[in-house]
Amino acid sequence: MTVLNPPLTHSGENNMNIGFIGLGLMGRPMAINVARGGHTLHIWARRAESLAPFAQFGAHAHVSPAEVAKHADIVVTMVADAPNVEEVTLGENGVAQGARPGLLVADMSTIAPASAQRIGMKLADRGIAFLDAPVSGGEAGAINATLSIMVGGKAAAFEKMKPVFELMGKNIVHVGDSGAGQVAKACNQIVTGMGVAAVAEAFNFARKSGADVAKVREALMGGFAYSKILENHGQRMIDRNFKPGFKAWMHQKDLRIVMQEAHRLGLMLPGAAATAQMFNAMVGSGLGEDDSIAMLKLLERMSGGEPH
Amino acid sequence: MKVGFIGLGVMGRPMALHLLEAGHELSVYARRAEAAQPLVDAGAKACASPAEVAAASEVVFTMVTAGADVEQVALGEDGIVHGAKPGTVLVDMGTIPPGTARRVAAKLAAKGIETIDAPVSGGEVGARNATLAIMAGGKAEVLERVRPLLERLGKTIVHIGPSGAGQVAKACNQMIMVACIEAVAEALLLARQSGADPEKVRQALAGGSAGSRVLDVFGARMTAHDFKAGVEARLHHKDFGILMNEAATLGAPLPIAVQVWQQLNALMAQGWGREDSSALLRVLERESR
Repeated sequence: MTVLNPPLTHSGENNMNIGFIGLGLMGRPMAINVARGGHTLHIWARRAESLAPFAQFGAHAHVSPAEVAKHADIVVTMVADAPNVEEVTLGENGVAQGARPGLLVADMSTIAPASAQRIGMKLADRGIAFLDAPVSGGEAGAINATLSIMVGGKAAAFEKMKPVFELMGKNIVHVGDSGAGQVAKACNQIVTGMGVAAVAEAFNFARKSGADVAKVREALMGGFAYSKILENHGQRMIDRNFKPGFKAWMHQKDLRIVMQEAHRLGLMLPGAAATAQMFNAMVGSGLGEDDSIAMLKLLERMSGGEPH
Repeated sequence: MKVGFIGLGVMGRPMALHLLEAGHELSVYARRAEAAQPLVDAGAKACASPAEVAAASEVVFTMVTAGADVEQVALGEDGIVHGAKPGTVLVDMGTIPPGTARRVAAKLAAKGIETIDAPVSGGEVGARNATLAIMAGGKAEVLERVRPLLERLGKTIVHIGPSGAGQVAKACNQMIMVACIEAVAEALLLARQSGADPEKVRQALAGGSAGSRVLDVFGARMTAHDFKAGVEARLHHKDFGILMNEAATLGAPLPIAVQVWQQLNALMAQGWGREDSSALLRVLERESR
């Protein structure tokens, strides 16, 4: 790969070279939005076919995360879990091995707060700034650049990254020090996990009681039971549209992080605990690849069967 | 037989003594040398490392706290793997994740060392009276070789299946036992709040369908408000961390166990981890007073 200095595309004085690692369901649209913002993308993916959609955006494909880092001012990672983040940042041919002085890494994956802190410290030892910046809003939020982004790390790094975050999301909050973004995401997963369970339970209750579920939803929309989950997830439950969205196994993974943190901290989370077991049941009974709202199917099976 | 014993805490010490009393030639190692002293006084040979114990033994027992400790003792620097001859048998009697047990067994097998995971139930009393329940995972013929030794430590010895299966059985044991402790605590709380004498209630129940070992032992500690360990609650807390993690990996819903885990979390938060698990009653009393 040739060294690209100066960058090839200039759409403004704030053009930066941005590395992006992890081009899956979420990462792909997020990276595209960054490219559309006028930045030059440097990308790497384990599977070459993940790179193809980026040709039209003038992105530069590289052979390793280290090579991406060599050309980047900022590297964004969006991968499955903590071991993946560790591998692409600190592993062999990882970001740290190619980093230029002053590099900023923003990890937008969902991992344990303690893992984020550990990775942040190890990168800091090598002079690399780190932000944990997990997101909420799902695939639709990634495509429409309306993600909520919860950020942990130093204020200076946050200010540098903010214009890039603004290309991917809307509600961008600097929550606190390293790991604080992941703490906020864990809280988000507690609320959304139990929210999906609450709406699914209410709808199953309504149907078994002989009520019109769509009407019940409509009635609830105006009152204190209103929530985005009632509105969006609730509608998809009524449409019986279980296509992900956000897969049940990913919610299970996130609640597992929550429950392990609760174990470490000595925290009682009885509601999240019950919900986590329902996600276990979904994964165990073959609903893991469905959207989280397939919680409704699980409840229906446990109470006499799904509707015909 | 030449027998080694590593880990001489409240459980390990009486177990090692039984083996010594049975006439076996015993080599011991403990991280804190003073823990080995009672065994040395009784005729055991103190070693400087797990490797040295392994070099002197045909069968090596380990009774240490966590999975990481077992890995360290078995595979670490100066670990068993560096002293044991091919054909040596490691019997790990601690409670660790099934996955760790399988991993250690596979690594030792590559060096010709056999492994049995043999966690126990029955607590300190069971260890002292040699009445432990022993649940074993590993090859049947290897278990037969060490069975005469295990018979010195426990009353029931059941071969569950291959490596790790003993730890699976232990996880099941912990789930049932601690859920029972929680059930007894809740019942005795209800009794007291209703103005009934909890000890009378406990005695009345003991003869009927709700009777159980947990009601006898842990129930009595609760009505006496004597929370001195027995089994330190922090160990049950550790075990629940392991088994709930397994459940998530397997996609197994455990709706009761997960709530018991939350009560244990609350117990830990109060700083009662070194009390007996009957202190689960204290968690309820705190919520209800």
